[in-house]
Amino acid sequence: MKALILLSSLGVIALLAEIFSFKKLLYPIVLLGLITTFVLNMFDWDTNKLYFKMMQFDNYAVAFTAVILVVAFLWFIMAEGFFKEESNLTDHFALVLFALVGAVMMVSYTNMAMLFLGIEILSIPMYILAGSNKTDVSSNEAAFKYLIMGAFATGFLLFGIALVYGATGSFDLSEIAAAVSGGTALSSIFYVGVLLMLVGMAFKVSAAPFHFWAPDVYQGAPTVVTAFMATIVKTAAFAAFLRLFSTTFSGVSETWMQTVWVMAALTLLVGNITAVMQTSTKRMLAYSSVAHAGYMLLALLAANNYSNSAILYYASAYSIGSIATFAIVNIISDAKNSDGVDAFNGLSKTNPMLAIVMTIALLSLAGIPPTAGFFAKYFIFTSAFMAGNIGLVLIAIIASLIGVYYYFRLIIAMYFKESDGQTIAVESNHKIVLVIIAIAIVALGLFPDYIIGLL
Amino acid sequence: MITTYLFYLLSFLAIMFALMVVFSKNPIHSVLYLVLAFFTIAGHYVLLNAQFLAAVHIIVYAGAIMVLFLFVIMLLNLNKETEPHKSVWLKASAAVASGSLLVVLVGSLKGAAGIQSAKTFDASIGLIENLGQTLFNDFLLPFEVSSILLLSAMVGAVMLGKKSIK
Amino acid sequence: MLLAVQSTPLDFLPIALMFVVALGFVVIMLFLTHQLGPKKKSKVKLETFECGIEVQGNARLPFSIKYFLVAILFVLFDVEVIFMYPWAVNFKQLGLIGFVEMLTFVGFLLVGFYYILKKGALKWE
Repeated sequence: MKALILLSSLGVIALLAEIFSFKKLLYPIVLLGLITTFVLNMFDWDTNKLYFKMMQFDNYAVAFTAVILVVAFLWFIMAEGFFKEESNLTDHFALVLFALVGAVMMVSYTNMAMLFLGIEILSIPMYILAGSNKTDVSSNEAAFKYLIMGAFATGFLLFGIALVYGATGSFDLSEIAAAVSGGTALSSIFYVGVLLMLVGMAFKVSAAPFHFWAPDVYQGAPTVVTAFMATIVKTAAFAAFLRLFSTTFSGVSETWMQTVWVMAALTLLVGNITAVMQTSTKRMLAYSSVAHAGYMLLALLAANNYSNSAILYYASAYSIGSIATFAIVNIISDAKNSDGVDAFNGLSKTNPMLAIVMTIALLSLAGIPPTAGFFAKYFIFTSAFMAGNIGLVLIAIIASLIGVYYYFRLIIAMYFKESDGQTIAVESNHKIVLVIIAIAIVALGLFPDYIIGLL
Repeated sequence: MITTYLFYLLSFLAIMFALMVVFSKNPIHSVLYLVLAFFTIAGHYVLLNAQFLAAVHIIVYAGAIMVLFLFVIMLLNLNKETEPHKSVWLKASAAVASGSLLVVLVGSLKGAAGIQSAKTFDASIGLIENLGQTLFNDFLLPFEVSSILLLSAMVGAVMLGKKSIK
Repeated sequence: MLLAVQSTPLDFLPIALMFVVALGFVVIMLFLTHQLGPKKKSKVKLETFECGIEVQGNARLPFSIKYFLVAILFVLFDVEVIFMYPWAVNFKQLGLIGFVEMLTFVGFLLVGFYYILKKGALKWE
């Protein structure tokens, strides 16, 4: 709740910055605000407060809010250039902060109305930011596709909510859960409602076969916006997905388990296999982000007391790794005007620091020890294994082997290909953050207990 | 009993207009049929005794949002009368997907017929006083937060719609 | 908690009737003018008339985005005002708290309005 209020006020301050001409101060104000929000949010730990019967800041919500805030902080530093364009500076700040408000709502809702509003508050700024590069046709295309497909998915979600309401007479998650486990026969429209909500959520996490928007949108949108979508939006969407299906709808798990099983298998295979064929790094990372949604679906499917912490760990490891890769792709594509794999040729000679950080991040995304990504996959597979989904674990292992191939293609390009010799200038604050991220990835991998023991 | 007949009449009209939206070739006609469809749905709201919703539906949807739709269509260049050609596979898969959704919905509604009861239904629930009481007491937080939603839409409209001078 | 039923769908019959009459009037009048009026179809008669100047191109020109911006801002504030009706009806019962609630809501949107003005989004250039 504190996070919600603080972030909305920050957004309003950002709106007013231009009018009261403190534009220059806005960047430090927002960074400070994010730190304050993070600290205040941690005070909610173990309090388990319920606000207005709409939001519950249990440890699950606090932990996911913390992850989102940390990633947002890193994102703000790496996306500094995005906030340099004079005329739209305050708009960018305000939209990102409002999107964060939506993300916080999505991790803490206890009411369908809040879920819907959270998704919309997160999505609408994203639709706009995807098209924020107004003169670029592919950015416009990305915004348009995202808006149309997103609106369609929201339609499914709303229809699902309406049917669930029709069957149970409530928007409140605990009341719906009570109706599910109440023993009386549920109306058949309830099951359709659950499946329609599943479709809506699967779209938001870009799980196959609802992933078709992701590659085009991720490629067309400005790289920093893509980074935001791949990390914060995905984390928030998964937190919302898990919150709904692991508790409220767990009583009717036989309705959706099969569907999610097929979706997870499809997502893993489609994401990883298609990623192999990409030549653009942005598009490759987009498919890899689809594939990572598949791994997280595994934990959702397991639905044991292990899966919450597994998803929390996976989301943080994946988000931090992705932020680093997108930051470096952004730097390289700005310098070389190309986001192809060739642009990375010989990076280890021209910019050894970038190459090392990129390698660590890619190793983490591929799931190689001792990085965070390895333990993330390990925990996910363990929770799926304990739930008895051995077939799916096998598919996931094969899929991650395919994943290793395309991540290594980039590493090979960096270390074993000839460069065109030009050193890319990197700003010092980017350097510092990238090093911190690299250390964090390894540290998370060496001491996974700090996060895994939280929930 | 007159309401039952009205219900069937309105449902028939709503479905007919909705189909016309999809089938008319001219996008302007589509929008106008959509306005008519919205009017029939507003009629349904009145039948459900949700008069405020009916009025809002006409003011916001049939009035304001449909004007926006018309504007968007006028922003497009309508001189070219080319409809992008879609492959047979695409059409077939769309038909299969929407057909199965229809089957699922119809099936579930048929199954629901016996279970649904009106025992807890209060006919006054949709009246504006009760709506206000619920909105400003139980749903206070979503109400306040929706201002953020409107605000971000506002910022977005200005950002994308305004030429950046300076 | 819920107030007693004050109105039923059937109370809206007069309004529905008014709709029918209004629509019927328009349809009948249009039909009658077509039937009763004299018809002279010639090439000159059927041409679009534009102050005596010959017609250039056609009317289906792409439209300026400025109209759209105003329209979308109108819709947003329209939605805001919609929230005020249920509040106004319950103004007495909701008391001071309800007033503060609405003030916060409007305050947020007022910031937005101020922002729009300062950004010059409503200026026609």
